[in-house]
Amino acid sequence: MSFWETITGNDLTRDWHAFETRAAALPAGHRAAWEQIRQHLFPFGDFTGRNLTPIADAALGLLEEAAADGRDVPEVLGDDIPGFCAALAGGEGARTFRDRWRDQLNRDVARKLARLGG
Amino acid sequence: MEDLTEMLKGTLEGCVLEIIGGEETYGYAITRRLNELGFTDVIDGTVYTILLRLERNGLVQVTKRPSEVGPPRKFYALNDAGRAELATFWAKWQYVSSRIDKLKEGGR
Repeated sequence: MSFWETITGNDLTRDWHAFETRAAALPAGHRAAWEQIRQHLFPFGDFTGRNLTPIADAALGLLEEAAADGRDVPEVLGDDIPGFCAALAGGEGARTFRDRWRDQLNRDVARKLARLGG
Repeated sequence: MEDLTEMLKGTLEGCVLEIIGGEETYGYAITRRLNELGFTDVIDGTVYTILLRLERNGLVQVTKRPSEVGPPRKFYALNDAGRAELATFWAKWQYVSSRIDKLKEGGR
């Protein structure tokens, strides 16, 4: 990734365009699932959302494989798409705003307690 | 057997490791194997998130192979770290199951 792309986010726009092209080729049910996955992944994004690209790629890959094998969405993902997204994003490298705020808060509290001699 | 999800949660990763340890395989085949074993609740999505976690933790070697239909498939094989993790899983399983059996027998 070049400096220019980092600043403008051009690479992200390009990646997501590519995802949409791939999604457009899916059968209707799988495409609808992709829409849902995209929505549910969004809250796990970091500042630029760059951390979501590999996760979205993986999820789309699973839908493509399922479609090719003729398996439908409930069979593959069950009825808990938000849960699936959380599990996908839950690993390392999926740091969200909330985690960072929590870390910041923990550090501040620890520092203040240390100052009190606690 | 149904409604095993809660009970399986901690052990499914070990089961997937064991299946991959047997031979190089891919996601859907792992799900089918688990279903055949009687874990009918297990779906692709669950197996897929486990595979991603194994990959992120560097326990598996991933090879992309073209498939007859659709996109290339990811095949998974255990590496040395994966084999060590699998051995640890069975040791832990042995411990837990022996304790639980003991409990059932009334602590004798």
